[in-house]
Amino acid sequence: MTTVDHADSPEQAALRAAVREFATRHAAAEPAGTWRRLTGELGLTALAIPESHDGMGGTLAEVAVAVEELGRVLLPVPYLSTALAAAVLAEAVTGAAAGGAVAGGAVAGGAVAGGAAAGGAAGWLRGVAGGGLAAAFAFTGGLTATGGRLSGVATHVLDGAEADLFLARAGGALYAVRAGDAAVTPVGTLDQTRSQATVAFTAAPAALIGPADRAEELLRVLLAVESVGAAEHCLDATVGYLKTRVQFGRPIGAFQALRHRCADLAVEVASARATARAAVAAAAAPDRLAVLAPLAKRHCADVFWHVAADMIQLHGGIGVTWEHEAHRYLKRAKTTQLLHGTPAQLRRLVAERAGLQ
Amino acid sequence: MTGLTGLSDVDFRAEVRGWLAANLTGEFAGLVGRGGPGREHEMVEQRLAWERRLGEGGWIGLGWPVEDGGRGLSWPRQVVFAEEYARAGGPGRIGHMGEQLLGPTLLMFGSREQKARFLPGILAGTQLWCQGYSEPDAGSDLAAVKTRAELRDGEWHLYGQKVWTSLAQFADWCFVLARTDPAAERHRGLSYLLVPMRQPGVEVRPIVALTGTSEFNEVFLDGARAAADDVVGAPGDGWRVALGTLAVERGISTFGQQLGFQREFEDVLAEARSTGAIGDPDIAARIADAWIGLQVLRFTAEATLGTPAGSTPGVEANIAKLLWAPWHQRLGELAVDVAGADATQVGPGYDLTDAQRLFLYTRADTIYGGSNEIQRNVIAERHLGLPRA
Repeated sequence: MTTVDHADSPEQAALRAAVREFATRHAAAEPAGTWRRLTGELGLTALAIPESHDGMGGTLAEVAVAVEELGRVLLPVPYLSTALAAAVLAEAVTGAAAGGAVAGGAVAGGAVAGGAAAGGAAGWLRGVAGGGLAAAFAFTGGLTATGGRLSGVATHVLDGAEADLFLARAGGALYAVRAGDAAVTPVGTLDQTRSQATVAFTAAPAALIGPADRAEELLRVLLAVESVGAAEHCLDATVGYLKTRVQFGRPIGAFQALRHRCADLAVEVASARATARAAVAAAAAPDRLAVLAPLAKRHCADVFWHVAADMIQLHGGIGVTWEHEAHRYLKRAKTTQLLHGTPAQLRRLVAERAGLQ
Repeated sequence: MTGLTGLSDVDFRAEVRGWLAANLTGEFAGLVGRGGPGREHEMVEQRLAWERRLGEGGWIGLGWPVEDGGRGLSWPRQVVFAEEYARAGGPGRIGHMGEQLLGPTLLMFGSREQKARFLPGILAGTQLWCQGYSEPDAGSDLAAVKTRAELRDGEWHLYGQKVWTSLAQFADWCFVLARTDPAAERHRGLSYLLVPMRQPGVEVRPIVALTGTSEFNEVFLDGARAAADDVVGAPGDGWRVALGTLAVERGISTFGQQLGFQREFEDVLAEARSTGAIGDPDIAARIADAWIGLQVLRFTAEATLGTPAGSTPGVEANIAKLLWAPWHQRLGELAVDVAGADATQVGPGYDLTDAQRLFLYTRADTIYGGSNEIQRNVIAERHLGLPRA
């Protein structure tokens, strides 16, 4: 029933199958061990790193395949943040960021010279490529950077509790800071499958990496992609349940009121998949990315939310129990909707960038 | 959408654009933006002539095999044509029933003799068709067709009533689903007959739609005749043939349709700007949502293009319909809400603004071509594999 993604290259299809198998097998495993195998044996954090830097020479499209498949089971590892950090660091090191100047433009005149940035990025890149380091992005908090040192308090840092490295926004630029140079306070989260932290920086040594906006747009793209994987799982699980749950002497999936709801969800999921795919493709087209990243994150997170909410409704009583998996998806969906731009904020952003005023 | 077709199609796109620029002019200049849903009554004579001009230019049957008189063009090139046609404001087609429904059906199920007799007229834009499927008691439940055809003296004689028959008033022929075996149940015993429209025993009565204009007709068959050979597939095989027609009812025209949607959206946006309605946060939000929805429609259609070439249309067509029809309907609602109180008044003779027409005729979008509810049934059954009631 799961949509066959005809856009996959043969290599991507093989990657998808391998990650799906891994994710399914480790869905309930101990996270630290899962992370070691995922970064070590599978090398998934090195997907978007050039071979010249000990990576696998792929692009964000391969990262997206892995993110989607891990999202299907909400695997509790900081993969999304770390793989994106690897991609952003790789762009900084190779100067391959779309739009050219990585350490120029937005940060011209900044405290740290481009050469130094590339040097710092290269070191971190090795760490996330195969060293098992975890990274997280700090986009909130109005941090300031002076003389190569970062100060301020970042909140809602996704995957922040496990991070060895923070990529933090100060002004228009992105800086790398060692977790050891920051005060990291893990916080309780509605969605217990992904950590958050409050991270305080007090004149922490920081290496300039590149422009922050592109990194945040790419984060939105990956959140959209992850939402598609998770939403598709919710739909699959719900349809599976409706085929086996018997009431009034027949599988409840035979009742039109429920069939039609599932059909509507399938339509939404198909549209989300297509939209996320377009956003991934836009990673290589900066002018499109500015519109498509918030658009895709909004649409896909909304779809994920609808599917997760209906998953509970269509499962009936069992759906509201702690034991059943549905609540984990509901909580992830709401969390994804509310972070890095709420639906209303992203709608305004899209309208502004598409010139709809 | 430029990314779809690739560099090699730049030349083809230029060819299409050049031909349209050279031909959608002079006597045809007034046709830009005319015809189509909600406007089928407009400039009919000129649009009939335009069909012939398209035929002369070789722009009908682009995807048909060369040996059958088509041009054997790839999907992406057909998309390019649909896009450019819409971009140029090409008029609503009167010949699309023949080109998009009957033609492909004959290519799939027709005899050599039938193809030789009917395809050239469709390709030339000189032979117009309408579809005789729905009946008063056979709408969503198409297998309940009651129209009967009796084979007597080497001819089929038809008795019954068809309804919602678009363009019947212009058509030369009708492809009719009729019951040829009265003893057989439901979809067994149906045949797919090719019936001339201009003969005694065929009466066309226009149905006035909620726009005040006539989009579709009732067709009464009272002893209308069809030649014994003019049955597509075997007698009794009509259900399979008709489903084949329904399956091709999709696809490439989507891309032209989306450019039309884009133009309608831009009209609504321009109106909202000029009246200041866009300053209303609710209207601004709905405009943003409409734009986002349009991009989502486009991405979903592009994803469908990625399905293997030549594969039979699958559930993607049902998914696309369930996406675009409600979207279009909401755009119609937005259009009149943007216009505000002025949208409550019409001109003499129930003359409607574009916004009012859009608002009214989009109510039919979620009904024709398989209602939303039927689309959901199909998706639930064929895509999700849910059990039948």
